[in-house]
Amino acid sequence: MSDVVLSINKLTKNFGKLCAVNQLDLEVRRGQIFGMLGPNGSGKTTTLGMLMGVTNPTSGSFTWFGEAATHHTRKKIGAVLEHPIFYPYLSGQKNLELNAMVKGADPANIAKVLDIVELSARKDDKYKTYSLGMKQRLAIASALVSDPIILILDEPTNGLDPMGIAEIREIVKRIAADGKTIILASHLLDEVQKVCSHFAVLRKGKLMHSGPVDEVGKGEETVEVMAYHDDLAVLLQEFIGSGSIKKENGVYQVTMKDGFHSQDLNKFLFEKGIVTSHLATKKKTLEKQFLEILAEAH
Amino acid sequence: MLHLLKIDLKKMTSYRTFWVICGLYFLTLGFTTASGMEILRWFANKTVEFGASINIDRIPLYHFPDIWQNLIWISGLFKLVLAVMVVISITNEYQYRTLRQNIIDGMSRWEFVLSKILTNVLLSVMSVGMLLLIAIVTGLIYTPELILADVFIGTEFLLAYFLEVFAFLSYALMLGVFVQRSGLTIVLLMLSHMIEAIIKLNLFRESLEPSIGWLKQFFPLESITNLVPLPFARYAFQEIQDYVSLTAVAIALVWTFLFNYFSYLKLKRADI
Repeated sequence: MSDVVLSINKLTKNFGKLCAVNQLDLEVRRGQIFGMLGPNGSGKTTTLGMLMGVTNPTSGSFTWFGEAATHHTRKKIGAVLEHPIFYPYLSGQKNLELNAMVKGADPANIAKVLDIVELSARKDDKYKTYSLGMKQRLAIASALVSDPIILILDEPTNGLDPMGIAEIREIVKRIAADGKTIILASHLLDEVQKVCSHFAVLRKGKLMHSGPVDEVGKGEETVEVMAYHDDLAVLLQEFIGSGSIKKENGVYQVTMKDGFHSQDLNKFLFEKGIVTSHLATKKKTLEKQFLEILAEAH
Repeated sequence: MLHLLKIDLKKMTSYRTFWVICGLYFLTLGFTTASGMEILRWFANKTVEFGASINIDRIPLYHFPDIWQNLIWISGLFKLVLAVMVVISITNEYQYRTLRQNIIDGMSRWEFVLSKILTNVLLSVMSVGMLLLIAIVTGLIYTPELILADVFIGTEFLLAYFLEVFAFLSYALMLGVFVQRSGLTIVLLMLSHMIEAIIKLNLFRESLEPSIGWLKQFFPLESITNLVPLPFARYAFQEIQDYVSLTAVAIALVWTFLFNYFSYLKLKRADI
């Protein structure tokens, strides 16, 4: 079996004059945790909607597991798009039984997935009595019920409090450790950086960037320096490896030129007789990269 | 197919509204059709007060074979209740967006429509079953001299009744798929007959009546009512149609097919 789980080819969706998704090409491989980034309205949910058969594409195509998509392929995918959707008058357990019936999954899985999302104690309560966090967790359980090869989560932490977010993140990491492929759409960059192995950036329906998360940190380095010395700013400027220097909250942010690193700066200052009280190499964050990618697009 | 029916029933059987509406439907259907003689007696007593007298024992309301058409025509009036249930069932799927999740989970759009159609078939079969039971029991009670051959005369109305209920439920399902809001759909459903009557009234003015009046039978709701003609005029010495017209069946079948096909077509093309 091929390594490619999902292959998207020039997928396009127009809503009237608005082009929600524009000639999108994307590939997701087995085992990846693939983050789909983009501001609100960038076409993430529309793309996922097309992949899951609820939105009819205007043009273009995609394949799941190397074959053309039908409702049968969807049964092998666990997906939660936007909000959790369940029958409010049914209990969590009954809702999952229904999901299992539709997916043709073994009902014995239900107890297992309820355990994973820690909802076993509330399984017989009606869905409408659940808190938002519990609803999100039940949605993840329903996506897992058929033991899918691939999991699609769209903004799984939307509207949750910090504890709820941490819980969902833990669950996602645990599932990823099981070797499942995950596609995670989010506008929370921090979330994607913490969880994902690969990411793509969408803007106004167009793919702006696609690559591994590891590569984000590469490129020029920024060093934070703090020292009790009046002329620190002057000295920092003297250092030949300094690019730009900014002062933020009493800490100097020095962007290093190519080939220079924090240890070079440390050595230079030490030779000048200055001992720093704080010296740290800052990796470029996904947020910064994301904003750069979006800025390039203009 | 059975699997799809089970899925739709699972959605319904834990839904209290479903039990309340279906319970009310079968109860009122049962009691009304079974208590025709009581109603007649009450009616006779009333008319006595006005100086007229009706000998109700001479009206063979519950005698085989009259009973089939009589009871089935009355039961036909109650199908609206069942149709409201069908509307709630389909519009809930839109309101809760569970239709979307069903598709995401791996149902095809056709399977979704089929699961609703199958429930409609089941509800129609249950209506026929209920009526069959009541007709046999009351028929045996009230028919003075039972002749076995008479029992089977007019049983084709049972098939017509099935089609009548199923066609109307199909219509309700289609209305729900197109309108998607429960309140509005139910109002439209209740006004349907009136709307169709107004259209016919305007279309077939008196001068046109003789030339194109025959077109009326092709209207969707009229085609459903034409399946079982009103029988009671026969007790006022009038000629009635006491058989199921094959033309009426054919027209109703075509409409039933179209209702369900339109539901599917709409769902297939929609972004949900």
